[in-house]
Amino acid sequence: MLANATAATIKGIEGFAVSVEVDIASGLPNLAVVGLPDAEVKESKERVTAAIRNSGFDFPLKRITVNLGPAELRKSGTQFDLPIALGILAASEQLSAIARDKIKDLLVLGELALDGSLRPCAGVLPMLISCKHLGKTAVIPPANALEGQISSAPFITPHTLRELTDYLEEKIPPSTVQLAYIPATEQDPETLLDFNEVKGQSLAKRALEIAAAGGHNVLMIGLPGTGKSMLAKRFPGILPPLTEEESLEITKIYSICNLLGKSRLLTTRPFRDPHHTISNVALIGGGSTPKPGEVSLAHNGVLFLDEFAEFSRSALEVLREPLENGQVTISRAKETVSYPARFTLVAAMNPCPCGNLGNPLKPCTCSPMQVNRYKNRISGPLLDRIDLTVNLNPVKFTDWKQEKEGESSAQIRERVLAAREIQKKRFAGTTTTANAFMTPAQIKQFCHLPPGADTILETAMRRFGLSARSLDKILKTARTIADLEGKEAIETKHLVEVMQYRPLDRKGVADL
Amino acid sequence: MNPQISTDERLARIRLNAFLYFRADWLARLLDIFGSAQEILKQDAQTLAREANLNPSTATNLLKEAFSINPQEEWDKTEKLGGHIYLPEDEEYPQALRNCKEAPVAIYVLGNLPSDEQACVGLVGTRKITPYGRRVATKLAGDLAQAGVVVISGLARGIDSECHAACVRAQKPTVGVIGTGIGRCYPPENRTLEKAILEHGGAILSELPFNKPPNAFHFPRRNRLIAALSQPVVVLEGEIKSGALITAKLALEQGKDVLAVPGPIDSPQSAGPNSLLTQGAGVVTCVADILEYIPQAQRFGLDTRFFEHTAQTPAKPEEELSSREQQVMHVIADGQLSLDQIALAIEADVPEAAELLFNLEVKGFLACENGLYSKNKF
Repeated sequence: MLANATAATIKGIEGFAVSVEVDIASGLPNLAVVGLPDAEVKESKERVTAAIRNSGFDFPLKRITVNLGPAELRKSGTQFDLPIALGILAASEQLSAIARDKIKDLLVLGELALDGSLRPCAGVLPMLISCKHLGKTAVIPPANALEGQISSAPFITPHTLRELTDYLEEKIPPSTVQLAYIPATEQDPETLLDFNEVKGQSLAKRALEIAAAGGHNVLMIGLPGTGKSMLAKRFPGILPPLTEEESLEITKIYSICNLLGKSRLLTTRPFRDPHHTISNVALIGGGSTPKPGEVSLAHNGVLFLDEFAEFSRSALEVLREPLENGQVTISRAKETVSYPARFTLVAAMNPCPCGNLGNPLKPCTCSPMQVNRYKNRISGPLLDRIDLTVNLNPVKFTDWKQEKEGESSAQIRERVLAAREIQKKRFAGTTTTANAFMTPAQIKQFCHLPPGADTILETAMRRFGLSARSLDKILKTARTIADLEGKEAIETKHLVEVMQYRPLDRKGVADL
Repeated sequence: MNPQISTDERLARIRLNAFLYFRADWLARLLDIFGSAQEILKQDAQTLAREANLNPSTATNLLKEAFSINPQEEWDKTEKLGGHIYLPEDEEYPQALRNCKEAPVAIYVLGNLPSDEQACVGLVGTRKITPYGRRVATKLAGDLAQAGVVVISGLARGIDSECHAACVRAQKPTVGVIGTGIGRCYPPENRTLEKAILEHGGAILSELPFNKPPNAFHFPRRNRLIAALSQPVVVLEGEIKSGALITAKLALEQGKDVLAVPGPIDSPQSAGPNSLLTQGAGVVTCVADILEYIPQAQRFGLDTRFFEHTAQTPAKPEEELSSREQQVMHVIADGQLSLDQIALAIEADVPEAAELLFNLEVKGFLACENGLYSKNKF
């Protein structure tokens, strides 16, 4: 006989309802799963067989066909174990008519252990959110309960397959499978690091403040030990808080990657710092069953790439698409998916391979050619997407002692928030969220040059070898600096300050 | 071009010139023994070794190298670039090179070489340039060019580039003697500089085959040509073991005057010139110190104003600056400081310091490298 259950799968970061149809016919004992299942779905056969037997049911020795529809959608993930098991029990009439009737109103998700207990699976949150409109009660593993709460869909969390069937047969009170609301645990006492712990480096701090205010990408170049990582780690602390929509987006991505752990809705901006040996796929996402990469895990947050020049050239080049569009599109022979990836890039690198160029105490042992080659590893198109470049130099002990304690992150954040507020008003009704993402038309509309600026820009282009393309970057950054001061118009001094953040000089070339 | 040299002989000389593994005067000796390059190339290795008393393997290599290039192609490519290949018999071949003990068998030239009566000064220095070196190079090369002297240098990174660039800015000719074939540009970032040199009546000279890539041993060879073309040779910056000091040594061997620019005693880049000074090299503190060493025969047409020693205390161009800007210049003094350090010292915030530094940099008072500011005006 035929039975039907509803499950879901993930494509990109969205969930899609999947109908699990189970047909049992007489014939040689066999269990076939059809409907574009991935490897982990095919393996569920073995888990389901054992779980049914170990839960005190009979596994029907007949010809069983499981169809996952719609057939053209690829099904991946381990959440199909439970719906398949439930379908087999219903089709073999080991469940009563009442129970079979109830299955229609359930969205069943869960991985089975061989003893029939439920294990957590990835991507529950986006699946629940996308299937909310179906009006079904979700069955999810207890370990995924927090995601159920975030989705605010009705759900039950049985511990085992047997508990679920007993609930459906009304043999046990519903309260056993309904989890009491888990109170929001205190957010970890913010272990966020504070900017006032960084002494000196006021230029770099200022650059990061501008970056936070306008959503610009930053490249820090400096000797080892000048505080590049220290500054980068404190950067999320001065970013504006996540909106509800943003935090839902990133929680979904983390759910898909099974990285949610014990946390509830993510409320702090993600900070990802992958190692420089990372592969292209791990960085932007992909794989035969596409998974989000580091750029998507850094969505709405910060992607910190330390030792920027040590990343493989191709890994750096694939960053161009997300930096430009705020998303990555992964096209494989079988499917094409998009992941959001709007992050602030904070990159850090040494000035030369040995790391001592410009160090007053240690001589640099690199030849001029090595230094040039090192700098040239960051391609022009990539540099064009980085609005702020800042050099960090070692702080002398006397300066370090003299330096008064800097501003706290909270103080900086206040100015950032004010600047963001101005931008929100400016871009109301458009998709632009910050100055860094302005379209050419918007630049024309909002970035008027102050009188006399033409000469400054001309001199700068000639002296610093700036390209016409970098003019847009200069304007966008100047706009942010003006916003930080609450100024309506860009002033000359704003433009002049931007020149401090001009890109890597590839000079060594004498100016003519 | 000397019409008495047949085309075949020219091409044979170009072939012979491709052999870089012994000194050019040995090639000249071979030419003496056999009478012509064509005759040399007709011999087999044994005869060559026997007649000229060469090591047999050297003779084999000589023939191998000579036949590894296509002289007609060299000629055509050079001509296509607007250049020429000159032999010592040609009148265009500089007398200064002909007099040199190791005169090249052939030279490849782009642009116009200075005439034999023209004053030529060699300015050499390190590739690892310091801000001090940059200031000195810009000042001396600029003044020499203004005075009417042709500056000879090596078109390498650092001091060489700065010297050529200063001449180009003064719109005066300068000669770059390079360590690759003239068909190449090394370092590649100097391509625009090379073009500018040619546009302003200067020349690029090389003795290497047209497409020869850079190789470490080409550069000391190239240095002997710089020394040969110049009188005097000035060392601006360089470590004790550096190409600049090799040039100085070769210049002394050729009987040229060697001058050096004194520098801070704690700067490794000034160790070379300072050691030359202790050995008795001429001290350069201004352009007049260099001009004094130019032979009388070449002084015609030079701007006499530059022969006068300027006041020993350097001019203070800073006086036209605002008091805040002067403060910045005072703080930087002779060092290299970051914006942070400057801001701290003059008690400015980042935007104000940024503005001051930008203005000073645009006016040419400061240079910024890797985020460190240093004085740029002499």
